[in-house]
Amino acid sequence: MSKYKHEVILCIVNSGFSDEVMDAAKEFGAKGGTVIRARGTANAEAEKLFNIAIQPEKEIVMILVESKIKNDILHALYRAVGLNTPGQGIAFTVPVESVVGLTDFSAEAKSNTDSSEA
Amino acid sequence: MARFKISKAKDVKEEKTSMSSPKKLQLLITVVNKQKTEYFVDMLYNFEINLQTVLSGHGTADDHIKSLLGLTDNEKSIIISAIRRDRANEALAFLDEKFRTVKGGKGIAFTLPVSSTIGVAIYQFLSNTFNGGQR
Repeated sequence: MSKYKHEVILCIVNSGFSDEVMDAAKEFGAKGGTVIRARGTANAEAEKLFNIAIQPEKEIVMILVESKIKNDILHALYRAVGLNTPGQGIAFTVPVESVVGLTDFSAEAKSNTDSSEA
Repeated sequence: MARFKISKAKDVKEEKTSMSSPKKLQLLITVVNKQKTEYFVDMLYNFEINLQTVLSGHGTADDHIKSLLGLTDNEKSIIISAIRRDRANEALAFLDEKFRTVKGGKGIAFTLPVSSTIGVAIYQFLSNTFNGGQR
């Protein structure tokens, strides 16, 4: 288990698939995310070699989650918008050292553990 | 509600005893409403931050009907700042307070570890240190 309590999931998908990313992530407890428009670049030769077309318009979805639900969300993203889907998504996580502004998260997490104990 | 505590005493002590060692860097990512971008960018310069980059994005609207009617404003700015590790907790505590108290200033902020950087001048610029010592 990582020493970090939160991780930020970065999911790069083709433009227009950010809703699918959020739907998949919300199923496993993500609360919200931020979408950034971006432009992908790919090696033109590699594109020919692997016979794929890279759509340059991308969206990066940034989701801050607790480390314990990170794996579930990554799996969900892989299934919903993985490279072999139209979304052609890549997802990875980066450890986060400290967080502010997520107070409802901790409050909710606490009430969840309370109810499961009861 | 758990308030954000200003750094663990241990961290601060470590930083003080190792004056000569290079200051660690972190990336501070702040997501705020677009109208508040300038405010937060200006405020963050007080924490020995020399480089900030602003990206624009949008929040994922929870309430679809509201957003269809244009009632919610989910335009966001993502502020990426390179900050010295020993100032990061201070900056986060400051941001936490502003997120609670400023009207329409709700946002999130977090720090990411930076494992390496290249170039002495760039490092000194990012960490706001000169001649390897305290400024």
